[in-house]
Amino acid sequence: MAYLLHVRKGVGTMIPSIETTNYEAFGMRIASQLALPELQRVYIDDAYADIEIQYGDLTRVWAEAAIARNSYNLIDGGIIFTIPDTAIFSVEEGKRITVSPMENGDSSRIRLFLLGTCMGILLMQRGVLPLHGSAVIIEGKAYAFVGDSGAGKSTLASAFLGKGYPLVSDDVIAVSLDPDGIPIVTPSYPQQKLWQESIDQLGLAANQYQPLYGRVNKYAIPVASAFHTQPVPLGGVFELCKVEGEETKLCEIERLGRFPLLVRHTYRNALISLLQLEQWHFATSAAVISKIGVYQLQRPSAGFTVQRMAAQILELTRKGVS
Amino acid sequence: MMANGTLTMGHIIAQTKGNLVSNMDNDKVLMSINSGKYYNLGGIGGKIWELIETPVSVEEIVAALTVEYEVGTAECSSQVLAFLHNLLQEQLIEANVGAGIHSK
Repeated sequence: MAYLLHVRKGVGTMIPSIETTNYEAFGMRIASQLALPELQRVYIDDAYADIEIQYGDLTRVWAEAAIARNSYNLIDGGIIFTIPDTAIFSVEEGKRITVSPMENGDSSRIRLFLLGTCMGILLMQRGVLPLHGSAVIIEGKAYAFVGDSGAGKSTLASAFLGKGYPLVSDDVIAVSLDPDGIPIVTPSYPQQKLWQESIDQLGLAANQYQPLYGRVNKYAIPVASAFHTQPVPLGGVFELCKVEGEETKLCEIERLGRFPLLVRHTYRNALISLLQLEQWHFATSAAVISKIGVYQLQRPSAGFTVQRMAAQILELTRKGVS
Repeated sequence: MMANGTLTMGHIIAQTKGNLVSNMDNDKVLMSINSGKYYNLGGIGGKIWELIETPVSVEEIVAALTVEYEVGTAECSSQVLAFLHNLLQEQLIEANVGAGIHSK
């Protein structure tokens, strides 16, 4: 009993529980003190976990690190950041995330940042390039759909899902280089975000799904059955953008133009320089760019053109993406 | 620094700071953090970039290249000078008059 009390004191007095649950996401085994219902549970020994997610009191660390009043600050081995009314988070050495919840911090909102920003930082610390978008598998290769918010990434991925092509990610696409320098996508976790309009168009019933925290009309749809779980080579990247006019248009991006495109669509790209990872990002981009096809897919801002876009992408992948 | 923009064999060439560099297939690619511009130096351009990792004279660059590639000194010199002139305009390199060497 004395031992237990000692352990509890060590992690902080506000801690509701120190039990951990094991999960898998992005090919990593995660031992977490926070329950993460979004992730797949795995039954392994804690000792084999790649990363750990723990509660901890970061108030003092934050006060010491936050000298420049930035929302993100460097600490030894990582980054610390604060989301008002939610929590303080630290992400260290590509293997440890500490969460310091604020009073009344909503747990689903905490998980949104944990599985989003924290995971994005952690992947970069591990040398994995996180792209922001959705990815599906066509003929054994992953194709990533990137673009600004509302460009139609999730919707396009859903259209492929509807045709029987498995999903590998719907928010953060984890790209790493294998020993032969081939870019590989490691599946994230089975969850898909979809806008109301897309749900209606695709004939899904919105009231069956759980709205994502703080995102009115955006729903989380569990897609475990159609979710691919093994790493696959990255075949290509398609940048979606809305344009005036009525035609959808697909054009290849030349080599040097691919660099800024990957910067634009790297998840939490504003943190690359804070993490001092510019050279890594550039070299990784160069390696990825030379092995895949990179295209821009322009679509009219009005109208629902997702099936036409899917057909164009399928035609291109059949011809062989260069 | 250079007086009037004419690069000579005696100039000492050095890379400027603040560039990201990587190999892409057989090419050398660069990004200038200052300007945000991207460059592909190609294969031989990449070789020259490696030669100037520590400051060297144009003459030494040409000498190294004529050993490695089948090219005459005159032909090589004019191409190297033209290439370096481009890098200089893009502020990817600095050219200084070497100590004890009088520019021609």
